[in-house]
Amino acid sequence: MAPPAGTIRPWRHLAIFLLIGIVLYGLVFFTGDGKPVPKLGIDLQGGTSVVLTARTPDGSDPSRESLNTARAIINQRVDGLGVGGAEVVLDGNNIVITVPGSGNAEQAKTLSQTAKLGFREVIAGPFDPAAVAAGGDEKSEADDEKAEKGDKSSGSSGDKPDSGKKSGSDADKGSSSGGGSAPAGQGALAQQPDNDDDLDEQTKKEIAAARKVRQHKDLASQDPAKQRAAIERAVKELQGCAKNFDDPLRGNDLPDLPLVACQRPSDAAGSSEDAADEPRQAYVLGPVVLDGTMVASSTSSVNPDSVGYQVNIDFTSEGNDKWSELTAKLAQKSQLQGLDNPARVAFVLDTEVVSAPSVTQQISGSTRITGDFTEQEARELAEILKYGSLPLSFETQDAQSVSPTLGLSSLRAGLIAGFIGLALVALYCLFYYRLLGVLLFASLIFTAAVVYPVIVLLGRSVGYTLDLAGVAGLIISIGVTADSFIIYFERIKDEIRDGRSVRSAVPRAWVRARRTILSADAVVLIAAVVLYILAIGQVKGFAFTVGLSTALDLTVVFLVTHPLMVLAGNWKILSNRALSGLGLVQDEGNLAAARRKARTATAKGV
Amino acid sequence: MADEKTYSLATPIDQEPKKHSVFARLYMGTGAFNIVGRRKIWYSATVVLLLVCIGSMIFRGFNPSIEFVGGTKIQLPAVSAEGRLDVDRVEEVFADTLGKDPVAVQEVGSGPDATIDIRSETLTNAEVAKLKDALYEQLQPLGTDGEPDRAAISDRALSGSWGGEITEQAIIALVVFLALVGLFLAFYFERWMAVSALLALGFDLTTTAGVYSLVGFEVTPSTVIGLLTILGFSLYDTVVVFDKIKENSKNLLDLTRMTFPEAANLAVNQVLMRSINTSLVTLLPVLALLVIGVGMLGAGTLKDLALVMSVGTVAGTVSSVLLATPLLVDFKMRYPEYREHERRVMERRAQTQQRKGQLNEQISVDEETLEAEMRRERAYAAASSVPGRTLRRIDQQRVAGKEARRSGRGSGRPTGKPTGKRRR
Repeated sequence: MAPPAGTIRPWRHLAIFLLIGIVLYGLVFFTGDGKPVPKLGIDLQGGTSVVLTARTPDGSDPSRESLNTARAIINQRVDGLGVGGAEVVLDGNNIVITVPGSGNAEQAKTLSQTAKLGFREVIAGPFDPAAVAAGGDEKSEADDEKAEKGDKSSGSSGDKPDSGKKSGSDADKGSSSGGGSAPAGQGALAQQPDNDDDLDEQTKKEIAAARKVRQHKDLASQDPAKQRAAIERAVKELQGCAKNFDDPLRGNDLPDLPLVACQRPSDAAGSSEDAADEPRQAYVLGPVVLDGTMVASSTSSVNPDSVGYQVNIDFTSEGNDKWSELTAKLAQKSQLQGLDNPARVAFVLDTEVVSAPSVTQQISGSTRITGDFTEQEARELAEILKYGSLPLSFETQDAQSVSPTLGLSSLRAGLIAGFIGLALVALYCLFYYRLLGVLLFASLIFTAAVVYPVIVLLGRSVGYTLDLAGVAGLIISIGVTADSFIIYFERIKDEIRDGRSVRSAVPRAWVRARRTILSADAVVLIAAVVLYILAIGQVKGFAFTVGLSTALDLTVVFLVTHPLMVLAGNWKILSNRALSGLGLVQDEGNLAAARRKARTATAKGV
Repeated sequence: MADEKTYSLATPIDQEPKKHSVFARLYMGTGAFNIVGRRKIWYSATVVLLLVCIGSMIFRGFNPSIEFVGGTKIQLPAVSAEGRLDVDRVEEVFADTLGKDPVAVQEVGSGPDATIDIRSETLTNAEVAKLKDALYEQLQPLGTDGEPDRAAISDRALSGSWGGEITEQAIIALVVFLALVGLFLAFYFERWMAVSALLALGFDLTTTAGVYSLVGFEVTPSTVIGLLTILGFSLYDTVVVFDKIKENSKNLLDLTRMTFPEAANLAVNQVLMRSINTSLVTLLPVLALLVIGVGMLGAGTLKDLALVMSVGTVAGTVSSVLLATPLLVDFKMRYPEYREHERRVMERRAQTQQRKGQLNEQISVDEETLEAEMRRERAYAAASSVPGRTLRRIDQQRVAGKEARRSGRGSGRPTGKPTGKRRR
C-alpha cells in the first residue's frame, strides 16, 4: 500500500469493485440459463421435502461411506418416481429429499423403507417386457425359449424342485396375509413393521396384489405351460418397465419367492434423460439365495486383464458357502445352455435388477465381475453391493409439503421485511450521520448488489438453495454490514474530535477501524462457518447467508466505503455542520485546535 | 486522596468539561458515564437476573414446538372459493374425516397470506391424504392462480426426535464455536479478555433462554439456531469494546496518567454510542422481520429467528457494556502490577493536587516548572489516548513528520500527535 498508511488511491479501488460487479453479473447473465433468479428452497416456492435419518440395525452412527451409498439408493428411488427437479442431499446423518412443485411428489414421503439387496438366480431373461406383454410372435418365441430354459435349469440342478416347493408354500402365506407379517430382509427386520405402518390401506392392497402375480410360485414351476402363463401374467404388471413405472412392490418383494423384475435404469445417478427413456429389460428370477448381509466387502478397480473396470466382491464365510453352491449350479447350467446363453445371477436392490452377470464356472472366495463397466458404473455397482453388508433403515423425521401459495407468501414476507429493514436502517443512518449516512446507504446497496449475483451463481454451480432461513439471514446481516460502517464513522468522529480536519481524519481513522472491523467480522464469520458445518436443518441456509454477507461486507468496506470516504473527505460540504452530522464533534475539535494554537502561541512567546 | 471508587474521567484534552445533554454526552463519547465504577450494581443485577432465568428454566421449563414433540401440521389458505374460512368449520371437517379431534386449529397471519393452521397428533400418510382430500372437497381453498387447488394445502409430519436432533447438533456447534472463539480472542486480545467475553456470552445465552421460558414463547429449532447466531453478534459488540480498551490501555502501566479501570471506562464511553448504534441498526431489520413475520405469516421461521434475535441483541449489547468490561477490570485488578499502578496514579494525583494547592498560596513561584510539568502531562495523555500507535514505526514517523511539515509547526513540543518516540 502506498505510504503513508491509510492513504489509498480511491478510484483504483472503486474500479476493482466495479470490475468484480461486472464479472459477477456477466456470469449471471451469460452462463447457465442466464436467468437472474436464485434457486429457491421448498419453503419459498412450494414443493415436498422429506428428511430421512439413516439408522443402522445396531443403532451406531452410519459411516460417511454407507450414508453416501444410502443417498444414492434414495436418489434412485426418487428417480423412479419420475418427478422433475428432485434432489437428494446428505445433511449430517440425514438424507434430505426435496421435490419442487406440487406434482405426485407426495409419494416421496413413502420412500423410507429399508433397502434390501439380494442375489437371485436368473430363471429367464433379460427380455423386453413390452414385447412379451404385447403378446406378439416374439413373445411366444421368447416364452418358449424361457420355458425351455426353465426346464433345463430345473433339470440340471438337483435342489431346484425343493426350493420351488419351499417357496411355493411361502407364497401362499405371503399373499394371504398381506404385507405386515411377511418375512423381510434379514438385516432390517426390526424396522419393517414401521415402514408398513406408514403405508395406507390402498398401498398395502397394491403390494399384496403385485406379490400375488409377480411373485407367483408358478414362475419357478416345473411345468413349462404353467410357468409361461405365470410369466405372461407377471410381465403385464410391469407396464413395460417404462421410466415412470411406479413399482408398488419396490422394496417389498418377499425374498423366499421367485420374482419378475425390471432392470434398474442405466443412469440411476440421474443425469441424461435420453438413456432413461430406453425400454428396460425384465428378468424372471428365482428366490433370494444370498442377501446383502453376506457380502463382506466390495470394491471397484481397473480390470488388469483387459480394458475397463471391474468390481470385486468378498463374502462372509456363510455367504461364501452359498455363493460357491450357487455358482456351481449356474456353471453347470451354463455348460448345458452353451456359451452364447450362459446362466446368470442377478443382484436385486429394491426389486430392481442392478446387474446380472453370467456365471460360467464355480467360484469360491473373492469374485470379480468384469464387463463393459465405466469407472463410474463399476464404482456404483461396488457401492450398492457394499451397501448390502450394512443395511440401513430410514426413519422419516420431517415430511412436509409446502403449497405454492404458502411459499409465495413466505417469499413475499421475506422481501417486504428486507426492504423495510433496509429502509429503517437507511433512515436511521441518514438521521444520525446525515451526509455520511448517504455513503452508508450506498454501501448497503452495493453489498446487496454483490450478494444477489453470488447467491444466483452459487445456486447454479453448487446447487445452493435460498430458503426462508437464508432470507432471514440476509436481512439480519443488514445490521452487520451497516455496523462495519458505523465503526469506521465513529472512528472518524474520534479523530475530528481531536481537532483534525475531515480530510486528515479519514486515513488515520481507517487504520484503526480496519482492525476492529476485521476482528469483529471474524467473530461473526467463525459463528457462521461453525454453524454451517456442524448444524443440520434450516440452520445451514441461515448460517450460509450470514457468512456470505459478512464476507462480502468486508469486500465492500475495503473497496467501496473507504474509497468513497476518502473522496468525500475532500468535499467542502462536509464542513457544513448541519449536513455532515459532525457538528458537535467539530466544535469540540475546533476547541481542541484552538487550545493547541493558543498553547503554541504561548510557547513561542515564552 | 479521593475515594477509590470514584474516578475523575474527563477526556484528556477537554480539561474544562462543558455540560451537554445526555444525548450529546453519548454522542461525544467523552466518558461522562461511570460504568466501571458502578460495577457492583451491574453484578448484583446480573446475579438476580440469572437466578430468575435459571429458576424459570428449571421450574417453568420451555414451550416446545411440534418439532420437539412430534405431530402433524396442516396449513391451508384462509381464503376459499366460498369466502373466508371459519376455524370451526375446519375443525368440523377434521373431526368428520378422521373421527378424532385436532390438537389445535387457529387462523394466523393477515390479508391474502392468512392461513389456517391445524395441529394434531401424528397422522399416517394415508390419513393426511384423506384429510387433504376432504379439506379440498369441502372447503375449496384457493391456490396461487385463484382457483381451488388441492396443492394449496400444506402439510408437515414431524417425528418427535427431529427437534432434538437439531438441538443436539446445535449444542455441538455451540461447544466448537466457544472453543474456537475463545482461542481467537485469547490470541487476538489476551486471556482475561477472552474469559470476560465468554462469561458475558454465557449471560446472553442464559437471559435469552430465560426470557423464552418466562414469557412462554414457543421454542422451535429456529429458536435454537437464532440463539447460536446471537453468540456471534453479541461477541461482535464485545470485541469492539475490548478493541478500544486494548488501544486505550496501551503503555498504560508506563504512565501515571490513568488507572486501568479509568482507561476501560473511557473506552466503554467512547464506544457507547457505537454500541447503541450497532444494536439499533441490528435490531431495526430484525424488528422488521418480526413484525412482517408475525403480521403476514403468523408464525414460522421468520418469526422464530427474529424473536430470538431481538431478545439476544438487547442482551448482547447490555452485557458487552455493563458486564464484559467490569469483569475484565476485576480480572485485571487481581494482578499486583495493575494494583501497584493504580496506587502510583493516585499518589501522583494527590501530589499534583498538593502542588496546585501550594501554588495557589504562593503564586509567583516556579510558574515555569509547573508549565513544564503540565506540558509533559498533556503529552502523556495524548500519547496514551490518541490512536495510530499501532502503525509500523516507520510509517508512524513518516506520518508524523509529514503532518508536522504540513502544519508548519516544528517538532520539539508535544502536539498531541504521536511522534513514535516513547517519552519517559
